[in-house]
Order: sequence, then C-alpha cells, then structure tokens
Amino acid sequence: MIPLGHYLILSGLMFVVGVVGVIVRRNSIVVLMCIELMLNAADLALVALSQAAGNLHGQVAAFFVIIVAAAGAAVGLAIIIAFFRTVRSVETSDAGELKG
Amino acid sequence: MTALFWLLAFIVLSSGVAVVSLRSPLNSALALALNLLAVAGLFAMLQAHFLALAQVIVYAGAIVVLVLIALLLLSSKIEQHKRREDYLAVAAIVLGSLFLVVLFPLLQGALPQISANNVQVTAGTVAEIGRLLFTDYVFLFQLAGLLILTALCGAVMLARSRPGQGG
Amino acid sequence: MSVSYSILWPVVFFPLLGALFAYLVGLKHKQLAGWIATGASGAALFYVAGLTLLLPHGRAFEQRLFEWLAVGDLQAALTLRFDALGAVMSLVVAGVGTLIHLYAIGYMAGDPAAGRFFAYLNLFLAAMLLLVSAANLPVLFIGWEGVALCSYLLIGFWFKKEEFAGAANKAFIVNRIGDACFLLGIFLLYLNFGTLDFSELRLLIERHPELSALYGWVGICLFIGASGKSAQIPLFVWLPDAMAAPTPVSALIHAATMVTAGVYMMVRLNYLYALAPLAMLVVLVVAVLTAFLAATIALAQDDIKKVLAYSTISQLGFMFMAAAAGAYWVAVFHIITHAFFKACLFLSAGSVMHCGGHEQNMRKMGGLWRKMPLTAMSFAVAGLSLAGMAPLAGYYSKHACFLALQSGAFETWGRLAELALLLAWLTAFVTALYIARAFSLIFLGPAQGNLTAHEPPWKMNGAVLTLAVLSVFSGYFLALPHALQHYLRPLFSGPYFNFDPGGVLEALFVHSWPGLLGVLVGLSLYLKAPWLIERIKERFPFTARLFRGKYYVDEIYALLIVRPLERLSVGLWRFVDQGLIDGTVNGGARLVDALALVVSRVQSGQVRHYALFVFSAAVLLAAFYMVF
Repeated sequence: MIPLGHYLILSGLMFVVGVVGVIVRRNSIVVLMCIELMLNAADLALVALSQAAGNLHGQVAAFFVIIVAAAGAAVGLAIIIAFFRTVRSVETSDAGELKG
Repeated sequence: MTALFWLLAFIVLSSGVAVVSLRSPLNSALALALNLLAVAGLFAMLQAHFLALAQVIVYAGAIVVLVLIALLLLSSKIEQHKRREDYLAVAAIVLGSLFLVVLFPLLQGALPQISANNVQVTAGTVAEIGRLLFTDYVFLFQLAGLLILTALCGAVMLARSRPGQGG
Repeated sequence: MSVSYSILWPVVFFPLLGALFAYLVGLKHKQLAGWIATGASGAALFYVAGLTLLLPHGRAFEQRLFEWLAVGDLQAALTLRFDALGAVMSLVVAGVGTLIHLYAIGYMAGDPAAGRFFAYLNLFLAAMLLLVSAANLPVLFIGWEGVALCSYLLIGFWFKKEEFAGAANKAFIVNRIGDACFLLGIFLLYLNFGTLDFSELRLLIERHPELSALYGWVGICLFIGASGKSAQIPLFVWLPDAMAAPTPVSALIHAATMVTAGVYMMVRLNYLYALAPLAMLVVLVVAVLTAFLAATIALAQDDIKKVLAYSTISQLGFMFMAAAAGAYWVAVFHIITHAFFKACLFLSAGSVMHCGGHEQNMRKMGGLWRKMPLTAMSFAVAGLSLAGMAPLAGYYSKHACFLALQSGAFETWGRLAELALLLAWLTAFVTALYIARAFSLIFLGPAQGNLTAHEPPWKMNGAVLTLAVLSVFSGYFLALPHALQHYLRPLFSGPYFNFDPGGVLEALFVHSWPGLLGVLVGLSLYLKAPWLIERIKERFPFTARLFRGKYYVDEIYALLIVRPLERLSVGLWRFVDQGLIDGTVNGGARLVDALALVVSRVQSGQVRHYALFVFSAAVLLAAFYMVF
C-alpha cells in the first residue's frame, strides 16, 4: 500500500503550485484554473485521509468540495465576463481601481 | 501498484507546474485537464470510485470546457513576461516552500488518530456514497443543490448583456 | 472688639450692582448710565455714612460672607470689617467718588462708550471699598488686584489709541512687579503665624516683639508692593503715563483713592512696622527721595496732567514719611486732605481741557481766569492747599507730617531724620513753586491763541466747587485733637503722636513759610519775570534737562530691563516656540506623512499582491499552530 504520507505530500505540493500560480499569473482565467488546482489538492488530501481512517466521510466531503468548486468556477467566470465588458481585458493588473 | 502511483503522481505534478508556467492560457487549460484526469486516477486507486467518476464528469468535463469557452470568447493572448515581476514569483515560491516546511510533520501522515495504513475499507461505490449522502448528509446535500441553483442564477445575472453594452 | 452683623455687604454690593446696570442700560441710553452709576455711588456713600454714625468708638462691625480659601491649613473667609480706619477711608472713597461720578456725567457726555465707562468706574469703587473693608490680607489682595484691573481698563479706555493701551499695560505690569513682592510678604506672614486676619495678626505680633528681623523683611516686601501701587521709587513710572485716562479717572483713581491703597496697607499693619525699625528706615528714605525728586520733575513739565501726576507721587511720599515716622494717623490725615485738593485740581484741569479747546499743554494756555473765573478760583484754592498755606486743609496735614518727622524720627535716627526734614521742607517749597507756575501759565498772563473757553456746566462745576470748599475747611476741623487723632486712636498701640494745631495766625506766619515763600516766588517769577527763568535754565542746562526729562528713568528702564527682556522673548519664541515645539508637532506630522506615503504602497490595487499577503498570513498562522 501507498503510505498516507505520500499522498499528503503530493497534495501539499499541488496546493503550493496552485498558490504560486494565483500569485504569479496575470490572466484572470488562468488564476481561476489555479484555484481549481488548489481545490483539487484539498480533495486528494481528503480522500487519502478517508482511506486511512477507514470510513467514507472524507469522500463525501470531497464530493461537496467538487460541487462548491463548480459553482465557484461558474460565478467566477461570470464575474470575469462582466469585468471584461468594461475594461476590455482579463488581466488582473488592469483592475487597479483600488490603488492607494 | 506503487509504479502506477508514481506515474500518476508525476503526471499530476508536472501538469500542475505546466498550468502555472505555460504562457498560453489555452495550453494551461489543457494541462489542467490532464491534471484532473490524473487525480481521478489517484482517486480510483484510493477505492473512491464514485468520486473518480464525479471528478471526470464534473471537473475535467464541465469546468475545463467552461474555462476553454471563456478563453476563446474573451482573450487567449499569450502573457508577456515582465522582468520586473520576477520578485513576485520568487516571493511566492519562497513562501510556498516555507509553508511546506512548516507543515511537514503534519504531511508525513503521522496522525495519532489514524491507525496503520492497511485498513480494510469499504469501497467508495455509488451505492455507499449515496447511502451516506441521503442519511447523514441529507441536509448538506439539499443545501448544495440550493447553492448550485444560486450560482446558476448569479452567473446568468452577472454575465447577461445590459442594454447599451456589447457582448 | 468686633461685633458681628450681617450689614456690611451693601457697601461693596451697591457699586457692583451699579456697574452691571450702568453697562446694560448704557447699551441703549447712554446718558442714563452715568446717573445710575452716580446713584449707586451715592447709595454706597449714604450707607457708609450711616454705618459710621452707628459705629461705637473703639469697636468694629464684622461680617463673614462666606468660606473662600480653604487650602490645607490656610483658612481665609471673605470677611468684611468696618472699624474707625475703614470708616474714614470708605467715607473718603465713596464721598470723593460720588462727586467725581457726578462730574464725569458732564465730562463724558457724548462719548459713545459712556456706559462702559461708568460700569468700570463703579466696579472700581466696589473693589476699592472691598480693599478698605477687608478683614484679612487675602481679601485685601482681591481689592488690590481689582483696583489694578479697573485702573488698567480705565487708562486704556480709549484703547483705539495705541499709546493709551500701552500706558494701561505699563500700569498693570509695573503694579504686578510690586504685587509679586507683596505676595512674598504675605507668604512670610502666613508661614510664621498661620493666619492672615488683621486682628489675629495684631495679637500675635504684639505678643512676639522679638521677631524684629522677620518683621523687617516682611515690612520691606510689603512696602515694595505698596510702592508699586502708590508710585514710589522705583515703581512710579506708570503714573505719569496713566494720565492717558479720562480726567475723572485720573482724579479718582490716580489721586484720591487707588494710589493711597499702599499707605492704607501700611497703616493697617502699623503694629508690624512699629517693631521693624529697619523697614521704617527704608520707607523713610524712599519716601523722602521720591517726594523731592517728583517735585523737581513737576517743576519742568508742560502738560498740566503730568504736573499733577508728579505732584501726586510727591505727596504720596509725604504720606509714607509720616507713616515711617510712626505717626500713622497723620498719614491718614494727609490722605484725606490730599484727596480733596488733588481731586479738585484734577477736575479743574479737566474743566479747562474740556471747555477750553482740549488742550493739555500749559504753554498754549493763558489768561483763562477771565473766561472761567470759578474754575480759576477752585484751582487757586486747591493749589494753595497743596502748597500748605494755612489755614487751608493741606497746611494742617503737611505741618503734621513735619512735626511727626521731628518728634518720632529724631529720636530713632537722629541726623538722618534731620536731613529728611530738610529735604521735606525743600520739597514743600518746590511744591508751592510748581503749582504757582501751573496757575500762572494757565489762568494768568496774556491769552495765547484763540481758545474758546467757557465755564463748565453745573454738573461739573458743582463737584469742583464742593471739593474746593472741602480743601479749605476740612483740615482745620480734622486737626482738632478730639477729631481724627482721637477717632483713630484705638487702632494703634504704643506711642501716639500728638498734634496741636495751634492758632491760625501763628500757623500762617510762622509755620507755613515754605509754602508761602514758594507761592510768592513762583507767582512773581512766572508773572513778572519769565526771562529770569530762561536765564536760570541757561545757567544750569544739565539740571534743567534732568528735571524736564524726568531723570530719564523710563529710558534707563527701557535700556536695562525692557530691551533685554524683549530680545529674550524673541529669542525664546524663535528657538523654543517655533523651533522646538512647532518643529516637534509639525515634524511629527511630517513623519507620519512620510511613513504613510511609504506604507500606502502596500495598497497597490493589484489582486496578486493581496493574494501574496493572504498566503503569507496563512503561512504564519500555520507556523504558530505547529510550534504551539
């Protein structure tokens, strides 16, 4: 069997990759994708722990995470579209209205 | 088994890095799809059959498609590399490593509540997950449905065209 | 000794009420304000007269109004006490005050701020009456400061003129310097005796005659305070400048009443001074010098009010001389007579100014006796009284001063007292000289220019004439052995000065020779031989300039004191106020500004930066969670 630790370390690495992506990328849709990456990492951790604990509660939780992630992605894209209407760009650096 | 795990892990990590680092957003989206599929494989290895299915259908299927459509509609410009933003990347990577270092003991899996790894477990079949969903988590299940409804309405409202505006 | 009645408060309260109403009514009906003020003053006068009649000899009325100071061990209530001395002083203050109020109605008619004037005048009366009715030193000090305040307000009454406002400042500030020493004396007394009530102090001090050194210091401190208020050397410089006030003010405050407060204080504390020969010596020396020097200055001034101002300073010196010689009641006697004739002189001068073209320079006047005979006569009578011509009032009080110096002081200080007496006689001569000069320049001789002069209205002249009459007759009657001398006796212990006025003829031809001589010489010089004056001035140019320039005291003070202080102030302002304080405050603000500028870069508006911050916080939290 694969030790639990392996799964968790993988999940952590994925999470950090996602965070770096959110911070570094300028295209807001790519940022959204990185967010999905982070959520996925959480899912992986949950399922791995569920197997280690011997019950299915972790998997149910991961299921709900997927639901929420989907809703979030939908709404997020809608916001990006609305933003695009006025600014004509999806770059986050063009959303600096709150500067100072 | 372990070989499969390492293969899938490699795919997950490299596609993840690809999502973050590829310049073209379309390529990033495709990398994301690969990533999600690999994770689905990992779920399957963990006896989470239903979840692996849901992952493929919802995540890799619906969400990635949505993202691709949005990319095609809005902009798929190749992001220019700006030298003076390198510090951000450095800071983020440093912080990320710090994060991992700090959480390392936790990530080793040495959790007192969890007994030995070789526990015989009921597989996460559709029937089993369904049973849990409709008994212990029925309330949350209904709420989740409400959430999706709200998200649907919200997305439509936010994205519809206003009079006088294009799009 | 004191009987407690609740009857003393109207003495101070009537003029206070008058002040309030005079101001309020004066806002609408300017003419009425003067009558209200005069009425209040008259009411106070009647009340005081009544109290005096009711006062049993040797006793006092006392009223404790309320508990005022209760700081640690110091307990001082606002207590009024009406004894023989208080009665005499209150009568003079209220009496002369009412007459001058009446005069002022005519003098200030037409002034747009008359209401304010009469309010201040009444306020002054209230403060002065409080001063002379005080039963302890703190209450006296309230009155002391109150009259200083009113003096300031009234000197600077026409404050739009900058030099008048400056004169008011000068008066107040110089007074303040004296007050600081006065307070020191009070503190010393309190430290050693624990009480500041006059009767209690009297008992305690007379029981401890051995503390002569302490009494000496206290006496000197208090005298410095008195010399600020009563214009002796070196704090007299404010009085000539105070002539910027309207003439009724000069008459009331700077001649008859406020300036006598210092003398009054010394008389009140006679038991202290009686045991401090050193202090008495200091007082004597200062008083004699002041009297003489002021008289010489008065001789060389052209402004009539300045002449009268220096004359007041000189006469105050006489009062202090009598007190220093131990004859306190004689000092009071001279206060009374001086109040009458000096006020009369001032008011006559005011009439000349008011009805004769608003001119103050005597060289521009002349021959006014034809146009203002009554005023001329009043001036003459009061002037002769000032010069000490028997049988006028001034003679008796001045002669008493001389005799006091002879008897009391000779025993104590021998040669020094002889010198003082000589100077006093010389001063009397110069006094007669300058008042004769003033009279000749104003009223006699050829008329200069085309001054349209006329006799003042009855409101004004009534007061002048009344005062003139008083200047004539009051002296003889008060000098009688059973009058003032006897009346004030219970207040003093120890040797008491006996004064026998003697016969009138003897007085006129034997004792009043300094005044007689001075008047004759003065009149003849200025009338018949003015060219002789010029020759004398040419012979002694330095002396002439010294007299005329008031011994350059103001200039010396400006050089030694005022200018360095000003430079210090400017320096402090630039360095401490602007540099340090403003610098710190502004610097603080600028520091915050700079910091804000730097810190505000955090708000870049970029979501990515914010995400980085959030993640850093998460890392920190995780670290904390793992460590603890």
